[in-house]
Amino acid sequence: MNYEKKILLVDDDIDVLEQNKILFEAEGFQVETAENSVDGYEKFLEFKPACAIVDLMMEEYDSGFVLAHKIKRHPMGKKIPVFIVTAVASQVGMQFDSMTPEEREWIHAEDVLNKPVVISDILVKLSDFYKEQQ
Amino acid sequence: MEVSEKPAKILLVDDEEYLRNGVKRILQIEGFEVETAENGTEGIKLGTEIDFDVALLDLKMPDISGIEVLRSIREKMPNTICFMATAYASYETAVEATKLGAEGYILKPFTPDELIHNIEKGLQKRRLILEAERLRLEREARLLELAFERSRLNTIINLLADGVLVMNQFGEMVYYNPAALRLFDVDKILLAERIFEVLPPEVREIAEAILNNDSFTDVSQSVQYKLHQDSEQPEIFVEATCSPIPDNEKKKTAGVVVVAKDITQYKQIENLKSQFVSMVSHELKAPVAATIGFLDLLGNPKLNLSDEQKQDFLDRSTYRLKSLLTMVNDLLDISRIELNTVKREIVKLDLAVSVADIVQMMEFEAAKKKITIHFNKDEETTYTVEADKPEIERVITNLLSNAIKYNVENGEVFISLQKAGAYVLLEVKDTGIGMRPEEKERLFSEFFRAKNEKTKGIHGTGLGLSIVKKTIDRYAGKIEAESEYGKGSAFRVYLPEKAVI
Repeated sequence: MNYEKKILLVDDDIDVLEQNKILFEAEGFQVETAENSVDGYEKFLEFKPACAIVDLMMEEYDSGFVLAHKIKRHPMGKKIPVFIVTAVASQVGMQFDSMTPEEREWIHAEDVLNKPVVISDILVKLSDFYKEQQ
Repeated sequence: MEVSEKPAKILLVDDEEYLRNGVKRILQIEGFEVETAENGTEGIKLGTEIDFDVALLDLKMPDISGIEVLRSIREKMPNTICFMATAYASYETAVEATKLGAEGYILKPFTPDELIHNIEKGLQKRRLILEAERLRLEREARLLELAFERSRLNTIINLLADGVLVMNQFGEMVYYNPAALRLFDVDKILLAERIFEVLPPEVREIAEAILNNDSFTDVSQSVQYKLHQDSEQPEIFVEATCSPIPDNEKKKTAGVVVVAKDITQYKQIENLKSQFVSMVSHELKAPVAATIGFLDLLGNPKLNLSDEQKQDFLDRSTYRLKSLLTMVNDLLDISRIELNTVKREIVKLDLAVSVADIVQMMEFEAAKKKITIHFNKDEETTYTVEADKPEIERVITNLLSNAIKYNVENGEVFISLQKAGAYVLLEVKDTGIGMRPEEKERLFSEFFRAKNEKTKGIHGTGLGLSIVKKTIDRYAGKIEAESEYGKGSAFRVYLPEKAVI
């Protein structure tokens, strides 16, 4: 199954946001960005992305989880992969390197990745996700 | 001769006057102090009033018999040595007198030597009795002291907040205090009960290891464990230290002392510390990550960036690194304030002058957003505080800079000085974007910055107000904040006029 190359990036660091936008655009993606979780959810509804990459710590230390949860609860969100990215997974006592299905269910995200985002990793995860959907 | 320093006191009870006088004279020559009584009644009166060393009692007197006198004296003064003097001793009276505690008989008539010999013997006995009495009292006092010591020690151990439990080499409970029950989370422990079954497994493990050690090694071991993990009671962190008790030869382990300490508070502080560390690392990592991101873009040949874009990325990288530097400096300042290693030069500081200077300095920033700054104060009053000039001016600068940063275009800032008892009140009010109640709550915490659509594009480290608060706390002052979202904020700082720093 092919997916539409549309990606939503949510991060409160506008510099990081712009950098990732440039990199994904270079890969042929259509990119939409949001700087907070409220804006992020609105953009998700309007833009209908094939993937969302959400920063964990925004307004609150767990804003990313909340947003991922909201997206995944939406019928449209159930069909797309959501990745949470964070710079401090281990420092805040959260270790997701080997996520169990239960944890994934609880977190409502496909994966929690370390910052900075490695575009090629995301591309692999993205195509894996849509292969499984077939 | 004497029992104490004083001459020995002798009581002489006899109805025959010549004998009384004769004996009295003999004894006085020997250095004794002599009292005489001419009948039994008088004898009892004297003998029960004064603790004589020796009493010489005539057996046969007209009023009361010598036996009665003996009985009365012995009852009241058990340590007075009594001799019975009589011309004809019967077996029965001898037995009765001895039973009542008479030392002996002196048969009349007696020679002075016989008399003195008997008296000397009596005095010797008296000395022994008194010495024994003294020793007995001393011993009793010491026992009392010992009992007191022991109960005091018990009270101390029972009142200790730390739990103490002692077990013998068979792992049987020998002693514990009430705190031990709480910190081992058990309802009761029985004397000589096998203790391992009731102890938390972590403690049991090391206590058992110590007891299983054949030879005694003077090494304590500690272990930490959590109580009430899955219960509704608050979680308690405990550190238990097990120390071996040596036997008399210090060769074998005779038992184990376990001391348990509630370390919940330390754990909480530790948690706060690691939370702070993770926050700091996040805040330090973000600008570094952003800068690396820009450098990666600049070094990526596939991207075909325009010169304009490249310059923009370089500028933004520089900006991020500069703010990182500011943040590191702020952090160092915070730690200096907290550790109180700030070098302060306390001077009489006229706040009116400081505020005026800072307002002037900030006019440029304010003009960019067309913000007007109003400075209100009473011209007649001087607003002097004893403080370190740079430190206090930094507080003013921080507050004023926030009032401008978080203000709207064409907004206003009102800064004023007032006297408030022994304090000077500095107020900084703005017509800016204000704060939501939940944002206000976290206002003074490190790295907190209100993040909403209105603060977008406003930069800061989130450390400024934290530094302000810590500084004012150091001066024993007070800071209050009032705010309404969308309307503006007001900060009131009370600084004591006299330095207490």
